[in-house]
Amino acid sequence: MDTAYLIETVIKIVILLLVFSALAGFGTYFERKVLAFMQRRLGPMHVGPYSLLQIAADGVKLFTKEDIVPQNVVGPIFKIAPVITAATAFMAAAAIPFMPSFTIFGYEVHPIISDINVGILYILGVMAIGLYGPLLGGMASANKWSLISAARAASVFISYEVVSGLSLLAPIMMVGSLSLIDFNNYQAAGVGSWMIWSQPVAFVLFVIAAFAETGRTPFHLIANDHEIIDGFGTEYSGMRWGLFFIGEYANMFFISFVIALIFLGGFGDGSVGGALALLGKVSFIFFFFLWTRAAWPDVRPDQLMWLCWKVLMPIAVVNIVITGIVMMF
Amino acid sequence: MSFEKFKDRNVGEDGYYMVDIEDYPETGWGKFKQVASRSLKGELFVGLWVVLREMFKFDIHTVQYPKEKLPIGPRYRAVHKMLRLFESGTERCIGCGLCEKICISDCIRMDTKYDENSRKEVTEYSINLGRCIFCGYCAEVCPELAIVHGGRYENASEQRAHFVEFEDMLTPIDALKAGQQEEFPGFGAIIPGSDKSVKKTPLAY
Amino acid sequence: MANEITITIDGKEFQTQEGEFILNAARANDIFIPAICYLTRCSPTLACRICLVEADGKQVYACNAKTKSGMNITTTTENIEKERRAIMEVYDVNHPLQCGVCDQSGECELQNYTLELGVDSQSYTIADVDRSSVDWGHIHYDPGLCIVCERCVTACKDMIGDNSLKTVPRGAGAIDGSFKESMPKDAYAMWNKLNKSVIGLTSGEEMLDCTSCGECAAVCPVGALVDTDYIYTSNAWEHKQVPATCGHCSAGCQISYDTKHTSIDNPEEKIYRVSNEWNYVSLCGAGRYGYDYQNSDVTKDETAFAAALDAFKKADTINFTSTITNEEALILQRLKDKFGYRLVNKDAQDFKTFLRDYSVVSRSSIYGSDLEKVHNTDFVVSVGTALKSDNPNARYAFNNAVQMKGAGLYFHPVADPVVDGMSKNVVSINHAPLQEEAVLYLILDLFANKDLLPKKVVDYLAGFHSEKTVTVTETIKEKVVTQVTKKVVNKETGEEEEVTSDVTKMVPKKVSKEVEVDENRLLEIVGAPAKFEETLLKLLKKKETFSLIVGPDLYTHPSSQNIARLVALIEKYSAFELVMIPTLTNTLGVGLICDLDDEAGEYAVGYNTQGDFVLSGLGDGDLDMPAINQQEGTLTSINKRVNPTNVAVGYGGYVLNDIANALGLKAEYTIDYTEQLPTSRGFKTRKFDDLPNHYTNAGEEVRGYLLGKMPVRMKKDEHVTPIDEDQALDGTLVYLANPVRQFTPFTNKAHQLIAEGGLYMSESALSASELEAGDVVSVKTEAGEVSVKVISDNKIDGEIAYLPTFDANINSEALFGGYRFATASIQKV
Repeated sequence: MDTAYLIETVIKIVILLLVFSALAGFGTYFERKVLAFMQRRLGPMHVGPYSLLQIAADGVKLFTKEDIVPQNVVGPIFKIAPVITAATAFMAAAAIPFMPSFTIFGYEVHPIISDINVGILYILGVMAIGLYGPLLGGMASANKWSLISAARAASVFISYEVVSGLSLLAPIMMVGSLSLIDFNNYQAAGVGSWMIWSQPVAFVLFVIAAFAETGRTPFHLIANDHEIIDGFGTEYSGMRWGLFFIGEYANMFFISFVIALIFLGGFGDGSVGGALALLGKVSFIFFFFLWTRAAWPDVRPDQLMWLCWKVLMPIAVVNIVITGIVMMF
Repeated sequence: MSFEKFKDRNVGEDGYYMVDIEDYPETGWGKFKQVASRSLKGELFVGLWVVLREMFKFDIHTVQYPKEKLPIGPRYRAVHKMLRLFESGTERCIGCGLCEKICISDCIRMDTKYDENSRKEVTEYSINLGRCIFCGYCAEVCPELAIVHGGRYENASEQRAHFVEFEDMLTPIDALKAGQQEEFPGFGAIIPGSDKSVKKTPLAY
Repeated sequence: MANEITITIDGKEFQTQEGEFILNAARANDIFIPAICYLTRCSPTLACRICLVEADGKQVYACNAKTKSGMNITTTTENIEKERRAIMEVYDVNHPLQCGVCDQSGECELQNYTLELGVDSQSYTIADVDRSSVDWGHIHYDPGLCIVCERCVTACKDMIGDNSLKTVPRGAGAIDGSFKESMPKDAYAMWNKLNKSVIGLTSGEEMLDCTSCGECAAVCPVGALVDTDYIYTSNAWEHKQVPATCGHCSAGCQISYDTKHTSIDNPEEKIYRVSNEWNYVSLCGAGRYGYDYQNSDVTKDETAFAAALDAFKKADTINFTSTITNEEALILQRLKDKFGYRLVNKDAQDFKTFLRDYSVVSRSSIYGSDLEKVHNTDFVVSVGTALKSDNPNARYAFNNAVQMKGAGLYFHPVADPVVDGMSKNVVSINHAPLQEEAVLYLILDLFANKDLLPKKVVDYLAGFHSEKTVTVTETIKEKVVTQVTKKVVNKETGEEEEVTSDVTKMVPKKVSKEVEVDENRLLEIVGAPAKFEETLLKLLKKKETFSLIVGPDLYTHPSSQNIARLVALIEKYSAFELVMIPTLTNTLGVGLICDLDDEAGEYAVGYNTQGDFVLSGLGDGDLDMPAINQQEGTLTSINKRVNPTNVAVGYGGYVLNDIANALGLKAEYTIDYTEQLPTSRGFKTRKFDDLPNHYTNAGEEVRGYLLGKMPVRMKKDEHVTPIDEDQALDGTLVYLANPVRQFTPFTNKAHQLIAEGGLYMSESALSASELEAGDVVSVKTEAGEVSVKVISDNKIDGEIAYLPTFDANINSEALFGGYRFATASIQKV
């Protein structure tokens, strides 16, 4: 194997881990501020100017907090569950091109860890494995709220796996590839060539599924604080809980990248402008996640299931059929 | 006293109206229509618009509590204060025990004795603020306007004993001399003009 | 008793006794008539005048107007309303308004009536005079609060008999003359009287010197008289009132322990005072102030308990005193039935024997009367008891009977200034000790129906009489007619002329006469004062009901059997109704419940008394027991009533029932034995929780139940033996008795009563001897010797000194061979 390739990959992995772990922290700060402003509040104000160092304070808190493993939990599983959540989130990032390729010191860097030809499939698969985090953590916690949360997590993930898969099938049919680079290149011609215009239904379905899989409002039922405390995270403290947290926010970022890459033209032609445009799109989608949290109420678990199986899935299937028919003629 | 007005539970329709809630859909098709109409009619976007508008208006209502404090009303009922007589500076409390009796959460207790000046002396006075509901009855019943409510509402402490002691509640004598003791206008205070409604007792001096 | 009549009050018909006061008749029928100064059982004072009612169209005072058949009474009219309102206004003149600091606040009759009569403004005024508060020792008097209703004076005179309080001049200026016209008549009269007086001490001294019962403070409607110990410690409404029965003497007074938490720091219940239904029961100083004798800070000491069980297994005797409840007595009896213990209790044994000897003649298991009846009799005789200290309630009954137009005789070797001071209608005769039989024969001679009395006794009594010729000086009024000449102006002529007329005058003249009189040698034996028979004749005028109180001197008398028979003869063949004073709290109950033994065995468990293993409610024994104020149970009183008492303060240790359970008896609580008390001895099958403990508005005692009378199976025997006139105790005498306010070591534990015992000598005896108060003397009798301090006691008179039993450090009983008098030599140490 090429040593340079190995070094490059390791460096990319380290950068990815550091950047997105930190981003998860900033994500919380950003979320708290945005929600506060939308509710006529100030949000965090005391740690540094405008509490910009809140992430440091939270980090110190999480790292120094006592690591509690309650008495009746299934120890090994309880301990491994947060790692699964965080690990799967970052593993999924392996197939995401975060930026166009660029050349540095004469060396061409591909800001993707591995451009595998089954990229989308891989991302969907690894994200699906992320289910095991909440599921195992919830079941091992010896806590009723955690158990309910685990059951909800399982049902939501399995159900919306179907919707996200089917909704992406139509774009995949159009592009004819599973690599996200190919998706990007397919839409490189400009705003008019974005997939969102040719597959608006698939876009909406995928965004809904993304909300469900990241467990964000209005589908925040996996860890719905006012019903089941913190769900699977109830019994966790300190950095173990922090890993769940990082996993959740990393997932939000990655899914934002995926949405931007598949439907919103990605980094376009690969120019600097395109790269900045990608960051802008990702930021907007992330903001949208927060925005909905301020504006919308949660739906019930049964409504969510009903929506998935009786509404979204049929629409996705119809969308595929129509896409196929259009492509045939 | 007649209880009739309490027995009449027919509250009537005045001022009440039904909230405009549409019937909950029974059938699957009905539910689908509801989802479709709610999603497509843009109600969701109204919500999004409202919060976004507020964000940009940036009309912040937060009071940054320890640094900024809202003013409280003079009749606010926080931790009790024990007042002194303005002229002599002695404690107003005469140990009559009425506050102890009227206290509905039974949190006031006092020990009294006959002192060397042949007066009733309060040797110990305690209010269990952990149990006090700050209803103001004690201030209202006090015949001497001795126990009143103050404005001190920050009671967090590590020890119960810090909550309140008689000495803490009592106006310090230097504060009294500096004219810092103010009459409490809340429960129990003399109503302005009440002198007019009192019949005068004749005096033979 | 008087006839049943029908009266009408406010349009409703009621039955009452003829001659009953209107106020009492109304109260008995739950009709409210305001009244402040009237005390039930005492004479009407007529100080407050607020009890005005209209009877048959005339305004009368309900407290002293007697009911007549068909009387029509209206409790309020417009005029009466005006009078009452004016009276309350007058009471409020210059009365301090700081109710908050007054101890009476909340139970103050001035507050109540001011509100009841809606006094919301004041029309009267007068300049006040200096009325500063004074400390009278155990009582504190604040004239500033006093409304001079004189209830204290009335109670002290008519009920207690101390006569320590009276009204003294107030020194106030005159009431503004204009009020006389503008005020209602009775209100003005009442104010006029009120404005002239305050309460003062009869003795004129600074401190109260009385038998310290505190009844004056109890009856005070306002906060003027307060117990010094209680002053400003709590408010009336804070107290939890525990209905109980006083555990100090056999009177079994109904009391209420008023308890609340000790202090802010200490939530434990503490007794602050004892209150009573002063209209119907009067307490003595021991009952009122001796309340905190509880055995406190006791925990379950398992080692001591195990040791107690071992002691019970080893013991063959249980020594105990009669300061226990009926239930405990029954437990002891059950233990005796099961394990064959000997139960030794000297005082109960003596009383029981006396009662049995009495039954032989009287054919009744128990004496016929009670103190309630004594209150209502006209003529009362007390024999063989130091009345004021043996049973203060018997003394109150004696005094009350004497004060309410009655008379009395008091036979006792120790002269008692308190009894002498009650009234001039009391003759006290200080006979020699051991001559109680002569006293009883004298009573038989004077009062018994000789036609029914056994012939032998009549003959024996006749032997004391002899004819004697005496010269009597009588004062005869002689008519003397003298001629008087006066100068009178003739109206017609206007001239002066002399007129002579006869004027008749009655002039007293002394005449000597020789008269044959009957001389009664019994009078000489008992040492009756000169002219006793004449005095007695005067005292006996208009007397219809008679009571005889006999006391503990007789039970321990060497010839107690004969005395018991004589007492029974008096009850049987004369108009006298009989009350016996049981020696200690529950002597009667213990005597009825327990089969007692005379001699102790080898190993004894003592309960509140000596033994090889001591159970004690005093806290000084090997295993702690609760005191009576920590127990629930019943006590049998002098009134033959089984009275319930309740727990006033907590107790953390073992009780007798625990020991009994460990020894094989079975009862969850001590009071489970209440319903098992022996019906064969007059008790009833009543559960403790069903026993009431209160008085009705009519003054009827609704407490526990009355003992039933049991048939007597012994053979009738009315034989009595003659007196041994030579029987006498020579030399210096000592008597076994307690000072007032003390009964047992329990009273001596109460913080207000703690005292050191000693040899109590009258002031006259003390000044006649070389001793001084405070000297330590050795008192030696045939039976033993003790070293005690001399204490001067102005509540006795004469030569005989007494030794107390309340001080556990002085074993006085050891000096006496049963009888309460003994010859002693007193040497200064």
